[in-house]
Amino acid sequence: MDFGFSEQQRDVQNLAREILSDSVTAEKLSHYDDYKGERFDRELWSKLAQAGLLGVAVDEEYGGMGFGFFELGLLVEEAGRTIAPLPLISHLISSALPIQQFGSSAQKQKWLPGVCSGETLLTAALSEAHNDDPAEPYLTTAKVDGDTLLLSGQKTNVPFANIANRILLAAKSSDGVVVVLLDPKSEGVSLTTQQVTTYEPQFVVNLDNVRIHAEDILIAAADGKAAMQWIAERSTVALCAHQLGASDKAMRMTASYTAERKQFGVLISTFQAVGHRAANCFIDVECLRLNTYQAISRLDGGLDATNEVQIAKIWAGDVGHRVSYAAQHLHGGAGIDRDYPLWRYCTWLRHNEMVLGSSAKTLAKLGKRIAAGDAFCS
Amino acid sequence: MKVEFTAAQDALRKELRAYFDELMTPALKAECDEAMGEGGGPLWREALKKMGKDGWIGVGWPKELGGRGMSPIEQFIFVEEVMRAGYPFPFLTTESVGPQLAEHGNERQKREIVPKILAGECLIAIGYSEPGAGTDLASLKTSAVKDGDGWLINGQKMWTSLAHFCDYVWLACRTDPDAAKPHKGISMFMVPTSDPGWSCSPVITLGEVRTNATFYDNIRVPEDAMVGELNGGWKLITSQLNRERLSLVNFGPTAEMFNNIVRWAQTLDLPTGGKLIDEPWVQINLAKVRAGVEALKLVCYKQAWAMTEGNLEMADASAAKVYGSEFFIEVYRLLGEVIGEASLISRRTDGANPIASRIERLYRTASIITFGGGTNEIQRDIISAAGLWMPRASR
Ligand SMILES: Cc1cc2nc3c(=O)[nH]c(=O)nc-3n(C[C@H](O)[C@H](O)[C@H](O)COP(=O)(O)OP(=O)(O)OC[C@H]3O[C@@H](n4cnc5c(N)ncnc54)[C@H](O)[C@@H]3O)c2cc1C
Repeated sequence: MDFGFSEQQRDVQNLAREILSDSVTAEKLSHYDDYKGERFDRELWSKLAQAGLLGVAVDEEYGGMGFGFFELGLLVEEAGRTIAPLPLISHLISSALPIQQFGSSAQKQKWLPGVCSGETLLTAALSEAHNDDPAEPYLTTAKVDGDTLLLSGQKTNVPFANIANRILLAAKSSDGVVVVLLDPKSEGVSLTTQQVTTYEPQFVVNLDNVRIHAEDILIAAADGKAAMQWIAERSTVALCAHQLGASDKAMRMTASYTAERKQFGVLISTFQAVGHRAANCFIDVECLRLNTYQAISRLDGGLDATNEVQIAKIWAGDVGHRVSYAAQHLHGGAGIDRDYPLWRYCTWLRHNEMVLGSSAKTLAKLGKRIAAGDAFCS
Repeated sequence: MKVEFTAAQDALRKELRAYFDELMTPALKAECDEAMGEGGGPLWREALKKMGKDGWIGVGWPKELGGRGMSPIEQFIFVEEVMRAGYPFPFLTTESVGPQLAEHGNERQKREIVPKILAGECLIAIGYSEPGAGTDLASLKTSAVKDGDGWLINGQKMWTSLAHFCDYVWLACRTDPDAAKPHKGISMFMVPTSDPGWSCSPVITLGEVRTNATFYDNIRVPEDAMVGELNGGWKLITSQLNRERLSLVNFGPTAEMFNNIVRWAQTLDLPTGGKLIDEPWVQINLAKVRAGVEALKLVCYKQAWAMTEGNLEMADASAAKVYGSEFFIEVYRLLGEVIGEASLISRRTDGANPIASRIERLYRTASIITFGGGTNEIQRDIISAAGLWMPRASR
């Protein structure tokens, strides 16, 4: 048992923190507010690529650092701490990792070097209308046609579908779930813009008999569902890591604010009610931290982590919500003033809470596992 | 970063589980139930001595002190398992006062008392609180006055738990009434309960747990009954409380109870058809408990690890205490709801379901640690100041 970081993990964390905290400023973030500009800092993206961080968990033979999932989680946590305008989760965790895990060597050779260099952008379509279970596509179907597939249906909330080179997505076929890499420029694909609470570019991806050639089929029907569960668990826990960084930062921003703001002639931090609400956030964030690290380290170590991922997501949802409102409240008006940096954190805390299953939904899933005898305490 | 135990630690856990399966005979269990989870009976004492003889009480203690030389993690595993087994383990003696004596005690205390603690032959009660001194502990009045080559102790303590069967009281006394700040005039003493000037009377609480008012009437103790330095007691009190906090929120018993209730709900037939566990609201309640227990486990393990590394953070210890104590109350409510009205039936009813009646009792005892062991308000003050650097009001 070891709750500390290895030297390698500390290096990744420090490097990521240094680059991101230097580059991401409130002033820069304001350029993307209200969709004034596409929320993607390409300069920062290439800085991360140059530092090797985009390839932190990609094998060395494809230009990566060859580190593990834990290191990648730490990068995402730092992205959350700065709410960096980068599609890290959709690009690295939901798409690149699965290609590395399930792809043919030709597919890996084709995509992974560009992932590390930042020249290729990948994304994943994990949600459908009223269906946030990536492993159970209902609205997207695939028909086998020779060695190609014909896809029809619809995915929603797909980040950066407009500029991605490929979109990883799952479709239901007659004998299971297939996973493909969709070129958004293919014939039969149309995108509809969605404006979302975080100002991240997101799209509805409509598919009308889109042909997927053999080289873009990642997983054939027999294994598709298990692979999508693999992807879903990693994507879910990545949201938890992002939530951890963002909620920790929102909490600390709040603590600092109360240590400067005076009312009734004293610092507002000296009011016990203020200190205690912040202390509750501290406890919450610690619980989120430990559950997130546990889930990530189990996945990193190749251990089963279904329960641990679900529990981390429950905490991520609850903690994000509670920290967001405590932070706003303890700031008073400043917390929601758009000239003060807190409010953007609140929208991301909300995003991470809701995506890939809210607390309520995840509690229901965990409850089913408990009933089935799959989630006893050890 | 790795949360799993080593193979050796897993093996230790298994060994302990088997050990306690054997140790906890039906007769011992019945005696402990009768004592409302406090212990003190003859079978209880015998079992404690056996644990001492078998080298368990000091499993994580250094060899020089008579322990087995393993780390605080192994010590923590032991405490978790003994509590999971339902044995009322005197952790205040072994896990909090004992280590204080080993660290700050004089030669006689280290030679005579510490080995007895590890042998399960010495029990110590904690004498801090007084009728007028609760959270504001530094205002305590029980006095120790220099008397030749010893000290003369007079006063009254309140809530001196377990004192009615303990050998000593770890007693906080005022030794300097004129100290510039009240907490700078306090010293610690080991006061034997066998002294004729010592007496106690029971105080019964909502959960039937007995505690005591204890009285100190001209008790004369020798110079070497003092622990640590003259007027240096406050430091000992705060570090004792820090250690106590970890034991208070041990998650073993809750994990065990959760598992038992899941098994029970899986088999319970509803008169309307189906099993209790099929009910969606039951699953939600259980999932809430499960998610919370996981966090408690991690919070506890992290502290055991931090103690091993020697970097236990004050804010983390306080966070564990607040989280654990408030979560227990929530657990008893959520699990009580799953059980329903049966969770109101006392174990004294013939045929009472032991799982349900346990909740009946625990629900009545749960508040103690939200204010005991350093009230949660003070813990939250510590968290915001030490964990978040928020300036706080002076007191
Ligand atoms: C079953 C039981 C066993 C116990 N065992 C022991 C024992 O073995 N040894 C021992 O010495 N003591 C023991 N205690 C005493 C326990 O430690 C005290 O109850 C505790 O310190 C609180 O003191 P009090 O009861 O006087 O409450 P008070 O201090 O009067 O507190 C009442 C309320 O006021 C709040 N409050 C007080 N000060 C502040 C503040 N500064 N800011 C915000 N809120 C505040 C408290 O949080 C609490 O909610 C035991 C108590 C019980 C009930």
